[in-house]
Amino acid sequence: MTCQEFERVLTELAGEFSFEQERHLRTCLSCSELMSDLRAISQQAQFLSEDAEPSPRVWNAIDITLRQEGLIHDSSPVRSAPPGWSRWRPVWLVPALATALVISGVILHQRTKTAPATVSQVAASLQSPESTMVPEEEQLLKLVATQAPALRASYESDLRAVDAYIRDAESSVRSNPNDEVAQEYLMNAYEQRAMVYEMAMDRSQP
Amino acid sequence: MSDAKKPPNERLPEAEAIERAKQGDASAFEHLYNLHKRRVYSLCLRMTANTAAAEDLTQEAFLQLFRKIGTFRGESAFSTWLHRMAVNVVLMQLRKKGLAVVPIEETMGGEEESPKKEPGADDIRLAGSIDRLQLQNAIGELPPGYRTIFLLHDVEGYEHNEIAEMVGCSIGNSKSQLHKARMKLRELLKTSRAEKATRP
Repeated sequence: MTCQEFERVLTELAGEFSFEQERHLRTCLSCSELMSDLRAISQQAQFLSEDAEPSPRVWNAIDITLRQEGLIHDSSPVRSAPPGWSRWRPVWLVPALATALVISGVILHQRTKTAPATVSQVAASLQSPESTMVPEEEQLLKLVATQAPALRASYESDLRAVDAYIRDAESSVRSNPNDEVAQEYLMNAYEQRAMVYEMAMDRSQP
Repeated sequence: MSDAKKPPNERLPEAEAIERAKQGDASAFEHLYNLHKRRVYSLCLRMTANTAAAEDLTQEAFLQLFRKIGTFRGESAFSTWLHRMAVNVVLMQLRKKGLAVVPIEETMGGEEESPKKEPGADDIRLAGSIDRLQLQNAIGELPPGYRTIFLLHDVEGYEHNEIAEMVGCSIGNSKSQLHKARMKLRELLKTSRAEKATRP
């Protein structure tokens, strides 16, 4: 039996060998090494690590989609709410904020069609990426901090990032009022902010 | 960390989490996700060799799972059910992109079908010693068809009859592709070792 014949057998028998094949293995160093290497590769493959983790955005996207489809809801509170909490539960806040944002976005979009910004106005908006947050956002972050203090910084960072995205998109629309891509970007930016608000509201619930 | 110190969700048995998830409990969903996300993501990452694609496929696999969780009856292990779903999601995506999942049925035999040998690599011996990180890198360099079969069989533990059904090929083709994948990996590992040996 030649090495070529032996290798052809490897593809068919998956490790079960006849007397002749076993004899070839015993006498041929090259095929013996080949078998050893292939077995080692196969064995090591079983122990490849599963340490890699998806980024948090994967769960966030799953969470949002399942809520939109009405497949999930928050479980009932494990512990009793703080005194007075039950009298005021700002569950109206998210839809109200989201509606206000979308409406203000539409109004702004209408205004930008007739009043394009000057160069100085665009430059001014781009120079302050870390501007202060609106009062509603501060209030929302305070709510998050009461229930999930460890997440406050993360949501604050997300809100700042999405606010910067909105400022950027707004300036694009001001510069190019007829650009449909810029308009779509702006609407996407508002929707993203509404999503972050919704997630933060979820975290703020007991 | 002792059980008492873990957050409440982490102490939740999987079976109970599944029942709660069937009722729509958001925290139960999240618990199941955290239990299985690494394994599913690792599978997707190895099969696509692309982190963005792997995250999208992980998301899709879990969405399909959670949409169908009401139908889970417990005949197989939950992890098996989820894993099979993830594999199908990845294979469907690979087919959509036109990436060859498995080459067309081919006749066996013929030297021209064996992986080409790099000059000098034959002098390097693996001697049965395989570095896991190098193996991981080498898997990423395999052609998609070889990679799929190798991952499903040697990494994920599926049998050839299962692979043939999932991928849509014959058992013989599955065995042939597996052998070629291992031969290609051997060649890649030898080349990698040869390059390392010649580096100053």
